[in-house]
Amino acid sequence: MSENNEHHDEHGHDAGHHVNYFKIYVILLILFLISVVGPEVGEATGLRWITLITAFGIAVVKARLVVNNFMHLAWEKRIMKWVLATSLVLMLIMVSGISPDVMNHEGQRWENIAAKAEVERGLAYAAGYAEEESEAEPEVMVAAAFSAESSFGQICATCHGVGGAGDGAAGAALNPPPANFTDPAFWADPARDRDRVITVIRDGAAAVGGSALMAPWGALYTEEQLEQVADYVMSFRPDAD
Amino acid sequence: MADTVADVHQHETHGHDDHHHDQGWVSKYLLSTDHKIIGMQYMFTGMFMAVIGGYMAYVFRMQLAFPGISVPGFGQVSPGEYNALITNHGSIMIFWVAMPVLIAAFGNFLIPLMIGADDMVFPRINRLSFQVFFLSSVVLLLSLFVEGGGFGGAWTSYPPLSANGDYNQTALGATLWLTAVGLEFVAFLLGGINFITTLMNSRAPGMRAYDIPLVCWMIVIASILFMLSVGPLLAGAVMLLFDQTLNTGFYDPARGGDPILWQHLFWFFGHPEVYVVLLPAIGITVDVMATFARKKIFGYKMVLYTAVATGVLSFFVWAHHQFIAGIDPRMANVFTITTLLISVPIAEMLFVMIATLYGGSIQLTTPMLWALSFMAEFLIGGVTGIFLGASGADIYFHDTYFVLAHFHYTFFPIAIIGTFCAFTYWFPKMFGRMMNDTLGKIHFWGTIIPFNFIFIPLFVLGMGGQHRRIYNFQHFPEIAGPEYFQLRQLATISLLIMLAFQLVFFYNVIVSWMRGEKAGKNPWKANTLEWSTESPPPHGNWPVDELPTVYRGPYEYGHPDREEDYWPQHLPG
Amino acid sequence: MAHARPIATTRSATGIPTPRLAVWWILASEVVIFGGLLGVYLMHRIGHPEWAEAASHTQTWIGAINTFVLLTSSFTCVLAHQAAEKGNGKEAAKLLGFTILGALMFLMIKSYEWTTEILAGYTITSNTFWSFYYTAAGLHALHVIAGAIIMGFVAVDAFRGRELHRVEIIGIYWHFVDVVWIFLFPLLYIAK
Repeated sequence: MSENNEHHDEHGHDAGHHVNYFKIYVILLILFLISVVGPEVGEATGLRWITLITAFGIAVVKARLVVNNFMHLAWEKRIMKWVLATSLVLMLIMVSGISPDVMNHEGQRWENIAAKAEVERGLAYAAGYAEEESEAEPEVMVAAAFSAESSFGQICATCHGVGGAGDGAAGAALNPPPANFTDPAFWADPARDRDRVITVIRDGAAAVGGSALMAPWGALYTEEQLEQVADYVMSFRPDAD
Repeated sequence: MADTVADVHQHETHGHDDHHHDQGWVSKYLLSTDHKIIGMQYMFTGMFMAVIGGYMAYVFRMQLAFPGISVPGFGQVSPGEYNALITNHGSIMIFWVAMPVLIAAFGNFLIPLMIGADDMVFPRINRLSFQVFFLSSVVLLLSLFVEGGGFGGAWTSYPPLSANGDYNQTALGATLWLTAVGLEFVAFLLGGINFITTLMNSRAPGMRAYDIPLVCWMIVIASILFMLSVGPLLAGAVMLLFDQTLNTGFYDPARGGDPILWQHLFWFFGHPEVYVVLLPAIGITVDVMATFARKKIFGYKMVLYTAVATGVLSFFVWAHHQFIAGIDPRMANVFTITTLLISVPIAEMLFVMIATLYGGSIQLTTPMLWALSFMAEFLIGGVTGIFLGASGADIYFHDTYFVLAHFHYTFFPIAIIGTFCAFTYWFPKMFGRMMNDTLGKIHFWGTIIPFNFIFIPLFVLGMGGQHRRIYNFQHFPEIAGPEYFQLRQLATISLLIMLAFQLVFFYNVIVSWMRGEKAGKNPWKANTLEWSTESPPPHGNWPVDELPTVYRGPYEYGHPDREEDYWPQHLPG
Repeated sequence: MAHARPIATTRSATGIPTPRLAVWWILASEVVIFGGLLGVYLMHRIGHPEWAEAASHTQTWIGAINTFVLLTSSFTCVLAHQAAEKGNGKEAAKLLGFTILGALMFLMIKSYEWTTEILAGYTITSNTFWSFYYTAAGLHALHVIAGAIIMGFVAVDAFRGRELHRVEIIGIYWHFVDVVWIFLFPLLYIAK
């Protein structure tokens, strides 16, 4: 059949270019063994670069061998090498464009609270697990660790300002204006103690004769969390210790 | 070198007319592998979906102009229904109208004809691609009628709204919508393989790379762009599907995921996607202009290289859709620069169009009117994009009607003007009859003038701070005044007028198909290969031993060595 | 043979036979699909060091066996191509049969692996690491299944001495499936 001759031409399998597939296979197996043993060595010695090179570096080498020799890319027309290279380069571009957002959990003016909480939770779970003996327990959904400061920042600061000075952007047009917790005059009224603060947060200011503009937030917090937020509010007092 | 494999397969190929004359209607039309029939299938499905998408626009524009009205033909629009209407209007117009008509319908019909081949290289995969596409349309339409209604999370489908049925209230619709989009992607991946491989390999003898008509190049470059950009989104869509159905946490930060990731994956595809639809429209416009200016394209290679440059650059601009989403501001700087840069090659293509027209013998046929209007309207769209590409200005403009007007001034020329331009130009070839030119012109003016009166008011409203995706502006005192509502009503009434004029088009199509003047092979006196065969072309496009050979480029109009002002590619010497 | 092959399919202006040209383009699109998924996974994995605990429960030795199985199946696959080149359809079909056997072994080992993991409580929702694990390996397994099925059809044809050029085409696709696993293995099993 004439077919084989033409195929030989296309693959460059004429005299001199014959690939020994068995040889390539043996090399692949050896590389594979190194890539399995290497990380064990890396773990044992604590030298991470050993793991990286043997696991990932060798993966790249193996892939090249398969692509070039089994898929015959080495003898293929150049255009296809360009096309495949373009696909890979595009993936690099994509990862570089996305990674600043996805891999970072905080920036100059922002913090991905939920993500950071998840990281902490996971590490704590792992540490706890390492101490416990037994059965593998799948990780359960644990409520995110509560932070009064974060909660204030998310919910209260829009009106009361990040520093509690009543200067939040959303509060600018309100009448009466949001309370300024840094103003001694605010705390001059002896009725404004910790319990009162808790009540206002939970039930709204109207519950104590104040403005309905300060809405009730009790649905968001447990009793314990209310106390933590109230403590945080009181920390803005000029004479707080 | 070219036909090394040909010898082996010679015994398997024979004339296409041989064993097909006894096919039943089902095999011949429904299950056909002929690229022209498959092109028609895509065309009619796309046009049907356009009617649905247009109907949706009618309904929500009525609600916006006359809040609370019981819209004739729909009823009162609830907020949830409003969200579903805008979501599906956007999705349908992009994925089920623009892409199938511009790329799949015209690509399928034209590419083999314009390169002198008898069909696509993989006819059965071609048929499969349409079947998958048809399935995707069915799934999408189904999603509108399930419990909860159609998906209402915007065509961009950002999680957590799109991932959580409790938030979007349309859990089943959301999953079906996502499935439909995924199937559509697969269909176009399959189709793209055919276009790319056919153009690369199956050209007529003598047709070098620079002898290929630009519309073919553009469709293939678009297919490559699509293929290289949709991969990550396909992966991301599977992840979203799992979030929706299996309660995984891929996009939930409290579980180690990131909703911004979806935005990046979506727009990494979403931005090249707009060039995927733009390039074929430019290809169509440029080919039509050459024919009706009786003049060579001013810079064929320029257009080709800038199209490639645009494609490459389009991979570097995606985050301009995310300027205020909380991305790293340093990246925002980078993306502003690249976005402003990408306006340069597109502008260059518009200059080439103008230079092609200059000094030409302009024939103001209906296709030419559409081509000229593409230039003018797309110019407005492109220029307003520059405002949005500057991250500072975008802080104000993002998610306002300014954005909406910008992308309608780009998408409408691409999807609607481009389609009508191509359809009126190639109708004689597809159906063997001429369309009525007077009706064509009435349809043209009745579409273009109202179009501007729809969207210019929307620019004004956007600059006034009107936000997108709001179902009733009566809730926003600052923009609920009578002047604002008058603008909204102007836009809506113009839409009604524009929709009414589309009836002229449908009437023209039917009457011309039934009773139009017979077209002959080359009514426009054009040069490209499709005009060298019968109208409509037979199965196999040319008799088996008469496949054309090519002797020159596709735009040899007004050549000094010729008596006629055109010189078809297939004529020797 | 129900349909005549168009003359278009037999032309080759680039010098690359059309089926091979097509499969390279298919691979280009698969590179961005898998590359997208794995790139996303990598970014998350680096940003979430606490996943190391979850990842420590993957069974490296099973993954290693599967790597060996796929590598060997790639070897038999390229030998099938060599046989097809020489016109020996029956030999090619036999070697493709071995390759399919490798695919089946891979799938069976993976089923066993996933069963043990799911029974131990490591499901797709237990942790986002596991979500990625099942999604990436699952997408890969889907490609293994699809490849094995197509390979079956090609093998049947080859046995009858027909369409021998298709052995190379399905081979290129199969090697790609192997290459994806070559990267999946360290990413999912070794990166602890």
